[in-house]
Amino acid sequence: MSSASSNAKSPGHPPLAIESVAKHFGGITAVDGVSLSADAGEVVGVIGPNGSGKSTLFNLAAGGLKPDAGKVRLQGIDVTGWPTWKIARTGISRTFQIPSLFINMTVRDNLLAAAVEGDWQRARDRMEDALEMLEISHVVDNLATELSGGQQKLVEFGRVCMRDPKVILLDEVTAGVHPNIRQIILGAIQRLRKTGITFLVIEHDMEMVKEICDRLVVMDQGKIVAEGDFETIANDTNVRKAYLGRT
Amino acid sequence: MASKPVQTPKFIVRALLIGAIVIALAVLPAFIDSYTLRIATGALMWAGLACAWNIVGGYAGYISFGHSAFFGIGAYTTAILMQSDFGASFFVTLLPAIILSIAVAVVIGGPTMRLRGAYFAIATWAFAEMLMQLVTVLDFTGGTAGLSLPAYLNEFFFYYTMLIAAAASFVGVWLLIEHSRFGFRIKALRDDEPAAESLGIRTNLVKVQSFALSAAITALFGSIYAYWTTYIDPHSVMGPQITDQMVVMVLLGGLGTIWGPALGGVLLWITNRYIWSTFGDTVIYLPILGVIIALVVLFLPNGLISLLVGRQRGKELISNILRKF
Ligand SMILES: Nc1ncnc2c1ncn2[C@@H]1O[C@H](COP(=O)(O)OP(=O)(O)OP(=O)(O)O)[C@@H](O)[C@H]1O
Ligand SMILES: [Mg+2]
Repeated sequence: MSSASSNAKSPGHPPLAIESVAKHFGGITAVDGVSLSADAGEVVGVIGPNGSGKSTLFNLAAGGLKPDAGKVRLQGIDVTGWPTWKIARTGISRTFQIPSLFINMTVRDNLLAAAVEGDWQRARDRMEDALEMLEISHVVDNLATELSGGQQKLVEFGRVCMRDPKVILLDEVTAGVHPNIRQIILGAIQRLRKTGITFLVIEHDMEMVKEICDRLVVMDQGKIVAEGDFETIANDTNVRKAYLGRT
Repeated sequence: MASKPVQTPKFIVRALLIGAIVIALAVLPAFIDSYTLRIATGALMWAGLACAWNIVGGYAGYISFGHSAFFGIGAYTTAILMQSDFGASFFVTLLPAIILSIAVAVVIGGPTMRLRGAYFAIATWAFAEMLMQLVTVLDFTGGTAGLSLPAYLNEFFFYYTMLIAAAASFVGVWLLIEHSRFGFRIKALRDDEPAAESLGIRTNLVKVQSFALSAAITALFGSIYAYWTTYIDPHSVMGPQITDQMVVMVLLGGLGTIWGPALGGVLLWITNRYIWSTFGDTVIYLPILGVIIALVVLFLPNGLISLLVGRQRGKELISNILRKF
């Protein structure tokens, strides 16, 4: 187990490859044999009705949950079953659907904490960059609890950037935020993807999806029921069934 | 803005304040009688102990109800090694005391700190109880009769030894937790473990490291205490009242702060001695501890230190730690 650092770049391997992963909770099959891979710089949208298994899929990819079956590979490295911290150090970083800032810490410390297992020497410079990109420099000394919901999302995004990851998973990062903040997030994703970072984004906002995603994956009841670009998905009967059939 | 903190005036005020405290503590013995010197020595010890408990309780957010075990491990290790069979000199006993306490902390903390905080609290409490029973029945610990140590009748020696140990603990915590990566790791896992893990922080390891550090400092004070009092028994160095005091001192002063535990330790120890000298007994001390805990948790969740330094962090600290249960 020596390849925990992110230097094992094999050109032939996608940054993220999920292979037939499954996860059961008691009687519920939350994720049911999902395969998905994403290329460098690609933004893949993961959509689907509530409870369709999107967040669980993210947890399986980032190591918060261990898959009952299937494999997860990062740049070709099989990280299935690894502890979360080790997977994180291999180059994947994620935000959480429920707010998960370090609430007794300032924005500054939240961001710096994200760099302790990475490039600590340049952490402060990188923090300035992240603060500037996300337009939160003015709240750097505020406690996490003193921020608006949208600002909290920005800081969580900033924390992810501080990791310098190859793959970023965003779980409903724009849910319920002010349009200005959504615009900031959108700009940041566009900018980072150009540097080759791969994104998987769970989104309920179709405008956002349409604007940033190269490709969409639609989940329903733990399975991928459709895949393709926005136009294809919008006209797909399976997708309509998934959304309309149960709401 | 600049990446360096530009708070020069504040920094100078702080440096002057710390310098004044250090000088005052260094020259204090010249101005007080030997009774007061004993109280001061005890106050330093409790400040250091509170500081130690705070590492795992306040910074990592794992509540230990078994720190008396480490105090006792230190005290008994020193006492046993200084018996005539071994005849070790005092300073030589410190290293084995510290190593043993770290080993025990790893064995207890390793498996239980992976679980919710309640498991850790119960495990540490149960272990401390068990260890106290054990030293009560074992031969080489002197059983209920306890152990006597060779007397070293120099109050100044103990005052300065406690001062150095307390100062070293304080500075150690300050450097390690307020000014290093370790501090970010430990505070991050306290606030949100899954998030900390997702940032590459090896939370299970950091938790055990913090517990071991806390245990080692506690054992160090146990060692010094044994030599100071020249006589120890199971209750005096392993009784639950030792843990209780540490917990209340930290809560009173300010959980998870750098100055709070020292403040709480000194204040509460002086109160303890005052009650003792006034009533000839410390029976009412325990109910007072209980009332203090209740009042602090209800009305002053950030402890007394928050009155002095104002806002330092969120009010959520205690509830955040309790949530781990
Ligand atoms: N830890 C868990 N224990 C038990 N069941 C779970 C757990 N996590 C998720 N589930 C169940 O798994 C299914 C998928 O949940 P998941 O959170 O992945 O859905 P989602 O697509 O993210 O939904 P949403 O859009 O509401 O966030 C749901 O039925 C959910 O109740
Ligand atoms: Mg979800």
